Amino acid sequence: MSILEYNGGAIVAMVGKNCVAIGSDKRFGVQLMTVSTEFPKIFPATDKTFIGLPGLATDIRTLSERFRFKINMYKLSEEREIEPRTLAHLVSSTLYERRFGPYFVEPIIAGLDKDNQPFICGMDLIGCINFAKDFVVAGTTTDSLFGVCESLWEPDLEPEDLFETVSQSLLNAVDRDSLAGWGAVIHVVTPERVITRTLKTRMD
Amino acid sequence: MNPVILYNNDTSANVPVEAPVERQFYPYADNGGTSLGIAGADFCLLASDTRKSSGYSIHSRYSPKAFKLTEKAVLATNGFAADGLALTKSLCQKLEWYKHAHDKEMSTPALAQMLSNTLYYKRFFPYYTFNLLGGIDDQGRGIVYSFDPVGSMGTELCRAGGSSAALIQPFLDNQVGLKNQQGAQQTPLSLESAIRITKDAFTSATERDIYTGDYLEIFIIRQEGVTVERFDLKKD
Amino acid sequence: MTDRYSFSLTTFSPSGKLVQIEYALNAVAQGVTSIGIKATNGIVIATEKKSASPLIDDSSLEKVANVCPNIGMVYSGMGPDFRVLLSKARKAAQKYKRIYNEYPPTGILVKEVASVMQEFTQSGGVRPFGVSLLIAGYDETGPALYQVDPSGSYWAWKASAIGKNMINAKTFLEKRYNDDIELEDAVHTSILTLKEGFEGQMTENSIEIGIIGGTTTGFTEGKERPLFRKLSPLEVRDYLT
Repeated sequence: MSILEYNGGAIVAMVGKNCVAIGSDKRFGVQLMTVSTEFPKIFPATDKTFIGLPGLATDIRTLSERFRFKINMYKLSEEREIEPRTLAHLVSSTLYERRFGPYFVEPIIAGLDKDNQPFICGMDLIGCINFAKDFVVAGTTTDSLFGVCESLWEPDLEPEDLFETVSQSLLNAVDRDSLAGWGAVIHVVTPERVITRTLKTRMD
Repeated sequence: MNPVILYNNDTSANVPVEAPVERQFYPYADNGGTSLGIAGADFCLLASDTRKSSGYSIHSRYSPKAFKLTEKAVLATNGFAADGLALTKSLCQKLEWYKHAHDKEMSTPALAQMLSNTLYYKRFFPYYTFNLLGGIDDQGRGIVYSFDPVGSMGTELCRAGGSSAALIQPFLDNQVGLKNQQGAQQTPLSLESAIRITKDAFTSATERDIYTGDYLEIFIIRQEGVTVERFDLKKD
Repeated sequence: MTDRYSFSLTTFSPSGKLVQIEYALNAVAQGVTSIGIKATNGIVIATEKKSASPLIDDSSLEKVANVCPNIGMVYSGMGPDFRVLLSKARKAAQKYKRIYNEYPPTGILVKEVASVMQEFTQSGGVRPFGVSLLIAGYDETGPALYQVDPSGSYWAWKASAIGKNMINAKTFLEKRYNDDIELEDAVHTSILTLKEGFEGQMTENSIEIGIIGGTTTGFTEGKERPLFRKLSPLEVRDYLT
């Protein structure tokens, strides 16, 4: 069994009209045993950008702290917020540094840039970036997420509709994955504010 | 160079050397492809794509894997195409015998049970097929049965099988089963909606699954009989 | 030994000075003059290029140099020291790009170079760099012109001069500079300023000019951005006539 699937989890991000959304489940398990249902996998990078880290829980915690450090250092030395695209390359190069002993995470980055243009991307565990125009998925539920997202997503969704699309995609996908689910969190980033909602899901 | 020769390089090397040589025969393959079944109130829909592949090559763009077995039941076989064909052939023969013996067509639930038995009969050298059986029962209600390769059987409202099962199933749960939709009324699904959902599911699966594509065959089973509709899918 | 503080680089004199740094500044003051002017839409940096002998092929001398596509720099002082700093600056720019997939903003690059120069005022077995730099760059925030000294201190200027004739040149610039000068005018002003202390005939081969802004742009990371480039002798000649 892959180390990437040891703890389980699912993350999805989508682009809407002048907005992006990113959502994850809340399960933390050890193989098939669920240990916690309050395990965060999405972390704020700036006011308008989030990093999602699905994969091995220990690496999620290590990397979330490393990225917090790097983002803060960037803010101090450059006296500006890091752009989502720049952040993506920072994450990518951080992962590639460990090319032959990788962190077992498949990060997803979602945010609005300084012109409030939506940006999302995903990458593999050694930092190969996938710049997507529509949606990106990662975690143990990728196949299911690809299927539902491909069917439910459409261009130029307004924030509320985007929220519904991400929610339905995530919920229905994780319900078919025994390693993910047990609650979900969705963030919708708009130029004005971030809407964060916690969702109830099937608990089985 | 053959290692046997390397170890025997004296002048009298023309004498054949006895050495064990390992040969392998693997009797199974995965030919990809996706099927889907939806049970309606008075109809059943069973759909399959027609691509047949092995690894990165497409062997056939039109090689159907869904077959009408009776006037009230259609079988879709996913997995190893040769086993699927052999299984279908065997079932057809059994159905023919049944007709001769009882002077009537086998009912869909009975056919499902027979399929389960047929699969379990080969418990230790299974047909490598993931089957969906769609049809209408004696009361005229739509019903979908799904099977694993050794005959475990379940009845479902909707089910996706094959290479894109994971991609399509949650979509069906949502759109047919109305899962995670608060306050949604479970009204009987119309045939038009079922066809629309099926086409959406397959076009989406075709986008992300290299083993699904080319053509889509939708079988619609009603009291009056079985009809087939054929649609194009992407061929890349 | 008249001065106990003149040998140890890291020992303050009683008056609070690090005399080695003062000496480094003297080396700069002996170097040929360099000018930098920030315009509304770009920056020009210029310097004299005087060769010791008419037999030297002066097309091989390079005093204005690219650090990365959006940053260039020029120096007054010791040529070999400049080349060390140039290669360190270029390496820093590439290191930044390796991490962020974009070239550094001017300020970040300047900080990087300045910290190298500072390190050489405090480390053992080294001496300070005998150069002052004028660094011109264009980033998200617009054009910026910096001067970096051997001590590692740096300032952002609207216009500045370093080297032999810096006092006169600065006075000249103070008179000539206004806030809405455009790049084309700035190039002429920089040439005029150089002419102030110039000995002999100024030709396209005896000065070097680098500009950023204006019409020279290029695509990096899918976006059109201003690029730093040196003017060819032909272009310089057009400005001189």
